[in-house]
Amino acid sequence: MKRLLLSIAATAILATSALADYTFVVPQRAGQGTTVWAEIIAKELEPFLGESITIKMLPGARDIPGFNKWHNEMRDDDKTVMVSHGGNGVSFLQENVDYDYREYDSVGMMNLNIIAGKRKGENMDKPFFPAGSGMVPEAFAIALMICGPNKSIEEYITCFKENVTWVKGMKTAERRLAFKRGELTGTRENPATYKKHVEPDANAELWFHHGLLQPDGSHADDTNYPSGYQVEQIFKERWGVEPSGEFYNAYKLVKSFRDGLQKALWVNKDNPNRDKLAAALTAMSKDPDAIAALIRKNGDYDWYIGEAGDAQRDKLLTFVTANTLQNLVKFNSEALGLASVYKEGLVD
Amino acid sequence: MPEILALLSGTFYGLLIGIIPGAGATTGLIFLFSFITLFPDPYLAVIFVMAVVAASTTGDTYTGVLLGIPGANSAAATMLDGFPLALQGKATYAISAAVTTSTINGLLWGSLTFFLLPWYTNLILIFGVPELWAFTMLALATVTFISNKWWVRGLIALAAGIFIGMIGVDPNTNADRWTGGWEYLGAGVQMLPMIAGLFAIPELIDGLARRKNTADSTISNGRQTLDGIKAVWDNRWLALRGGCIGAFIGVLPGLGGAMADWMAYGQAVATTKNPDVPFGQGNIRGVIGPEGANNAQKATSMIPTVLFGIPGAPFAAIIIGLFAYLDFELGTVDLAMDTKFFDSMLFGFMMATILVAILCILLTKYIAKIANVPYKYYFPLLLAFIVLACVQYTGGWEDYAILIVCSVIGISAKKFKFSRPALLFGFILAERIESLSIQMYGLYTFDRLLTRPIFWTLIGIIMIVLVWGLTKRNKLEYA
Repeated sequence: MKRLLLSIAATAILATSALADYTFVVPQRAGQGTTVWAEIIAKELEPFLGESITIKMLPGARDIPGFNKWHNEMRDDDKTVMVSHGGNGVSFLQENVDYDYREYDSVGMMNLNIIAGKRKGENMDKPFFPAGSGMVPEAFAIALMICGPNKSIEEYITCFKENVTWVKGMKTAERRLAFKRGELTGTRENPATYKKHVEPDANAELWFHHGLLQPDGSHADDTNYPSGYQVEQIFKERWGVEPSGEFYNAYKLVKSFRDGLQKALWVNKDNPNRDKLAAALTAMSKDPDAIAALIRKNGDYDWYIGEAGDAQRDKLLTFVTANTLQNLVKFNSEALGLASVYKEGLVD
Repeated sequence: MPEILALLSGTFYGLLIGIIPGAGATTGLIFLFSFITLFPDPYLAVIFVMAVVAASTTGDTYTGVLLGIPGANSAAATMLDGFPLALQGKATYAISAAVTTSTINGLLWGSLTFFLLPWYTNLILIFGVPELWAFTMLALATVTFISNKWWVRGLIALAAGIFIGMIGVDPNTNADRWTGGWEYLGAGVQMLPMIAGLFAIPELIDGLARRKNTADSTISNGRQTLDGIKAVWDNRWLALRGGCIGAFIGVLPGLGGAMADWMAYGQAVATTKNPDVPFGQGNIRGVIGPEGANNAQKATSMIPTVLFGIPGAPFAAIIIGLFAYLDFELGTVDLAMDTKFFDSMLFGFMMATILVAILCILLTKYIAKIANVPYKYYFPLLLAFIVLACVQYTGGWEDYAILIVCSVIGISAKKFKFSRPALLFGFILAERIESLSIQMYGLYTFDRLLTRPIFWTLIGIIMIVLVWGLTKRNKLEYA
């Protein structure tokens, strides 16, 4: 029996320390969305890269510690790649994190959208919506659509608090069930989970989405959904004018950082392997068989690879101004009760 | 033939991982990420995974009974009376009873799970936030006031557990809470080191202090095996009630794990008038009750997992990831139409439940010999396995530090009779109680709560538990 237990221990140790050429660092646990995405990418990318890839999971609160650890201790390794998601992008704007996108080169990123659903027949001027730091862009969108144009940030905060029941403390699974039960009248998902959890629900329908970030900084309609549901379109339809102003700029900032950086691969600046990785990713993204699993999971969305990814990141950074950041933090703190900080260092 | 191979390999692996102290289904499933894609057909991997789930649940009974160490948190309740039975030379009797009740409930609820999925869907939708809140409070009340003789110390342990469980992120502000600036604690204290620290390590230390075998189990004989099966028949309603509790908790998302076992144990204590053998000192009903719950809970927790992609228990969250890795997206209409997928799940779980029962009955006398291995040989091995299981979170020194702190808490609680189950429950459910309280406050007014009869029924049951716990003397001395 002792020999048997020893062999189990040896197998377990070997299984958790497989030799690999590249390491993809994921800031989540096994089974979570970005981990699964990274596993699919690694599996499909290996043949094009010609080297093996292992996944290293570094989970932690709000997926920040893993990214911080890569930034502080691992990024100098030329074969260590960071896999980040949109939540990291939002945290970068409003929390004291160590990581800084300005110091990296992009291997590639998927530009995604977030889709909000609602219960049929409900009054969405008085919605019950799940809270959370990942829901900040939805809070801005809801405030815009309900409260209309030409308001100060304070007026938006007051209007939001009067009309929106912002239900805190819900994990993803809990909010899905609460929405199915009708306790929540609105919810949001990424494209894949929207298809899975909201679309099949006979009592649910599309409410709004954020559109897709374009290289010029505008947001285009998402053709995966019927026309007329992008926040800007709904706003214009209801209020007769295009959305604009400081509050809208803050919304545009936070939604772009979340959705534009929804799934991204980073290496340290001037990493000699970046071009090789980007070339492999380009080849993979053009191979219908290799990309099929990703399309099934996330939908058919654009890749920005290599320098195009850098350009996307640089475009996002142009949205960062003192005003937009201050308004983001003010709305987060006063309307949503989140502990956000104003990061002066982000403003050039 | 490949299906049979997948079944056999999953069953053996699950049984082994179940026997390893501090491991169990969750840890065993995490290991699978390393090699799950090696299966030539993903449906074979589904069979393998479900076999691991079924077999590990039965396998962890061995460590609880023979060594006084829960293989996973699910075996902790079984340990209360199973281990004293082993010390009395009745290890085979306890294991036979445990395997029998576990198998019967596994088969019963495994069948009902896969044949009555639409019915369970309705049940999940009926239970809203208030009902889940009340049910969680009921679990806390039960473990504090029924599972321990010293309810004041139980309450203190519960409070301590809740405090530790609330370390991490404040769901109101999303800011770190009580982390002392230590980033590692931002995601909270991890469950595995807490469970190992509370239960496994104190028992190991105890064994070391005694410097002898943890259990003086005799080599099993056919008589003990038959006695165990007969004990289940004699207590068949208790076994089935345990299964019902396990099945009910399993079907509610996120409420899996030890809760069903402890509630089943609580009902075994509460429904036993004037026991011949006090609970906690080797009463076979204390084995049959919780063992009836754990396989049933594993089966039914697959309902929210498969139907909605919402984990019914911690191990099910790993399964979602594993199946996604295999390109099975749980909760989709496409998958619901995939009869081969459901057939594979059914085959893997049900056949492994039968197979592991046969293996356990046939091999018990060999596995029971573990207890005769001198302690000095297996202590370092057990400790190594526990540590290995507990340092998978980051693999850094922080994991080791947390395990040491949790072990100190567990050893102290055991020595000074502060209920470790209450501490564990407080820890596990703290986040849930807080989030459900916040959700209920946000979503419901008192008038809206008045329209929810299940909620008020559960509140009534909580009151009965409180009154019973404060007035009755028939309570455990286990802490």
